[in-house]
Amino acid sequence: MSSEVDYKEYLAARLLAENHPVTYRLLSRAVKTHVNKAKQMLYEFHKIQNAKKPQSIHATYLVTGRKRTLKHTNGLNGKDGEDAVMQDSPFPSSVPEPQEPPEEPIPTTSIVLVREEELEKTKAEFSDITSIHIYSLESGAIEDLGILTLCNAEVPAQSKNDDPLELWQLYGCIHNPYIKRRTPKSSITASKSSSKPTAQPAAKSQQPSASAAPAASKPSNTKPSATAPAKATLKRSDSSKSNASKKGPHAGDIFKSFAKAKPPKPKETATPSATDDSPMAGMSEDEGSDSEPDRSTTQVDEAKAAAAREEKEARQEELRKMMEEDLVMEDAAASTSPQDTADMDEASQDTPAATPLDTQKKDEPKPVETVVTEGGRRRGKRRVTKRKKVKDADGYLVTKEESVWESFSEDEKPPEPKKPKPAAFSTAKGGKKGGVAKGQGSIASFFKKA
Amino acid sequence: MRASFEPRLAKHTLVTFSFIVRNPQYIIVSQFLSLSSRMALTDISLLKGEPFDAPTNTSPRNASAYKPLHTFELPKGTEKQYSQQYADMYFVRLAQLKNAVKQKAAEAWDDFELGGEKAKYVERVLDVRQGELCWVVGTVYMEMSLKPNVLDDISKEHWIAAPPPRETYVNPSGQDDMMLEDESGRLRITGETVSSHYVTGCILAALGTEQADGSFQVVATTYADLPKQPERWDGENPNPKKPKSKASKMAIVSGLGITGTEDDDLTLDLLVEYLTGEALGPQDQAEALQLNRLVIAGNSLSHSSPILSREDFAAKKSQKKNYGYDASSYNASPAEKLDAFLSQILPTIPITILPGNTDPANVALPQQPLHPALFPQSRAYVIPPSQSKDTLEGFDAVTNPWDGYIEGWRILGASGQTVEDLLRYVDDVDPLEAMEMMLRWRCIAPTAPDTLSCYPFQEDDPLLLKVCPHVYFAGNMNKFDRKVVEGPAGEKVLLISVPKFKETGQVVLVDMESLEVELVEIGVVAPGS
Repeated sequence: MSSEVDYKEYLAARLLAENHPVTYRLLSRAVKTHVNKAKQMLYEFHKIQNAKKPQSIHATYLVTGRKRTLKHTNGLNGKDGEDAVMQDSPFPSSVPEPQEPPEEPIPTTSIVLVREEELEKTKAEFSDITSIHIYSLESGAIEDLGILTLCNAEVPAQSKNDDPLELWQLYGCIHNPYIKRRTPKSSITASKSSSKPTAQPAAKSQQPSASAAPAASKPSNTKPSATAPAKATLKRSDSSKSNASKKGPHAGDIFKSFAKAKPPKPKETATPSATDDSPMAGMSEDEGSDSEPDRSTTQVDEAKAAAAREEKEARQEELRKMMEEDLVMEDAAASTSPQDTADMDEASQDTPAATPLDTQKKDEPKPVETVVTEGGRRRGKRRVTKRKKVKDADGYLVTKEESVWESFSEDEKPPEPKKPKPAAFSTAKGGKKGGVAKGQGSIASFFKKA
Repeated sequence: MRASFEPRLAKHTLVTFSFIVRNPQYIIVSQFLSLSSRMALTDISLLKGEPFDAPTNTSPRNASAYKPLHTFELPKGTEKQYSQQYADMYFVRLAQLKNAVKQKAAEAWDDFELGGEKAKYVERVLDVRQGELCWVVGTVYMEMSLKPNVLDDISKEHWIAAPPPRETYVNPSGQDDMMLEDESGRLRITGETVSSHYVTGCILAALGTEQADGSFQVVATTYADLPKQPERWDGENPNPKKPKSKASKMAIVSGLGITGTEDDDLTLDLLVEYLTGEALGPQDQAEALQLNRLVIAGNSLSHSSPILSREDFAAKKSQKKNYGYDASSYNASPAEKLDAFLSQILPTIPITILPGNTDPANVALPQQPLHPALFPQSRAYVIPPSQSKDTLEGFDAVTNPWDGYIEGWRILGASGQTVEDLLRYVDDVDPLEAMEMMLRWRCIAPTAPDTLSCYPFQEDDPLLLKVCPHVYFAGNMNKFDRKVVEGPAGEKVLLISVPKFKETGQVVLVDMESLEVELVEIGVVAPGS
């Protein structure tokens, strides 16, 4: 089984590289194996890694069995019970009939999650341990076991596309053949949720175009893609990315007011946009035109392309000058990059552009987040997709990450709980992308201001 | 090892057999629990590395024999009216229970003599003559100075805030009065033995004499006692199922108290994993397999009642003032958490969920089922009303209180408000005694509508107990307890007080063959302890 090889890779990547905890359930979903096997995999990994380097991997255990004395199990309840008696009766001594002691002790199975530090102590409290297994592995001792819930929260997402009634075959949950599930209803909700995120990018792209002078921004965006046939694919990622992140870096300062004012509107404008608003349509064509140029550019001859390129460069130069005058707050890197983005490949752009923008980006997530809470369901979904994108970019695969973001936006339905770590990453990653998109972003922002 | 894994090719026994043959080094404790839960229990340790054991295939869960009754469902739409007077409820109760109580009292007191005087039955409380030994039947009304009183509330309209909820209505100075009333009038009851053990709303017969000051000196009291109890499987009348000998258990949990924050989630995760049979070793997983229904007895969410508690209200009032409904103040995350929690469990085990006083349901008893809109994911497991009225396997949101048949037993459940309120009337009574008394009085919410809000029933009061259940549980109690009470005709009722999961981590399991009770306690050892 391939899963037995995969799991080491997965665990190493997640634990050692990313420092995220892994529970057995998450592992079983990730490598698609039975949960009991996943528990053993965790043990194996724990053993091997700690043999290599002691204390490098930390574990929590789930211990099940009977506690040693009944007194102890009652200890927990006893406290509550005594409190209750005190509350209910001011005179506990005058209980007329002493409470009958239960005829026999109630069999109590205790399931206890414990860190490896307290494992031995906890085991001593048990008279009979029926099972014990590793619950999770972490890259270091954790102080708050609550962090494992974040890990568990990823579990449903991992098997989202599977039929929940078939999971038992794969993961070994208990099978209940009598449970019926209505699929049509759920598929509606799924498609609903998938359509929403896709509508969102369109809305995003309209925001800059609607507020900026659309006529100018349109040619500057469409032309480069027409001129550079080789870059068609790059362009594609570029343009859509820029749309997505346009509000990112620049919104921080200039668009803040727009971003705040806008959110209620795009929801309504998003749908009719294609028909009633031609500049908007032009902007949304931006994404569509990526595929069209692919076909059309093959027919365009080099001369035309060169002319177009010159024209575009001239235009951008002009824009850049205006921008330097107007946008003082844009730092040098941001203002010089625009024409570079068009000509040079993005890869080289990534690193230099990322650094200055990081600072801008840092305060950026917050505003968007408030939009989430206030703006209702749609906004919430947009956040989720964004975060997904960010998380996948951990491996520095910028182009790949684009597609991942798309697909996640299709599936992502329930808002993920906030994750502290990914949020930290998001600032850096978002900054990089902002760098890629800078050329167009800054142009648009210029027009926005005007 | 890997090669020997033949998934689902053979019946379970065969897999186990081949496993033994090829892996003689493993000791197999193969044990057949029962006919239905066929599963090899191995002592394979999960604390072991490669080579990995071939995962054993568990047999599927058994079907849950389930028949919910709709006793407590209110009429829908405009048929649900609140213009009626509550007084009618008391008259209905008295009329319906009078004969039963009278019969009981006649059995007990017909031959009763005191000082050569024979006790005789008096039809109306106002017909009681001074100095005459007699017995009457009536509804108890407790006049207690600490009891909330709607007239007080109106007269003190200028209160800044409502008074805090009381732990007890009992006045420590002992000045509370007990009355017995029927449609004719009221009789003040005196007598040491009785005053502290009755609450407003219960119907009883009292034997005694009227004193010179007009009060009724009580010698003895009696009540209706348990009604008739059906035999097991009797309730399945249209197509009676034969009792099958299969091990099955019902899990009852209450007070999940989901807040939407991340504090309490880990025990909930463990509960999910326990119920789905993912956590623990093969032996414990086999135990979890025996569960075939989860009952959630109220308070799944912790702060979602439409009527705010005093603290919540104060907190809200101190914030900005908003007129009308403020959509932005709605926090969906607790409901989403609950939905996610349920939808993870639902593929493996059917769920019956009762609302509780902190859940987003109506406040007045009987609380109506939680609305499906709260459960966008879980409601996929509900059979649409167009196909069937009941979801027998899947997700069933029911009323509080609720009754129905599970595995042939008649079950009556409540999420605790009735017990809690009753305990405020009396001293030194534990929840199980309160529950027992409710059954014996044949009224499962005697204090409604006096101190517990309640729908104004007119023709019939479903809160009167007409059939004796086999199991009666109340959720959201302070601690777990259980007790078996017996009725006059040999009825046996298992009473369970289900603790709050959030505070105790306890889940109650009821063996549906023997009606034995056990507990599962889920906990997390705090780091550094």
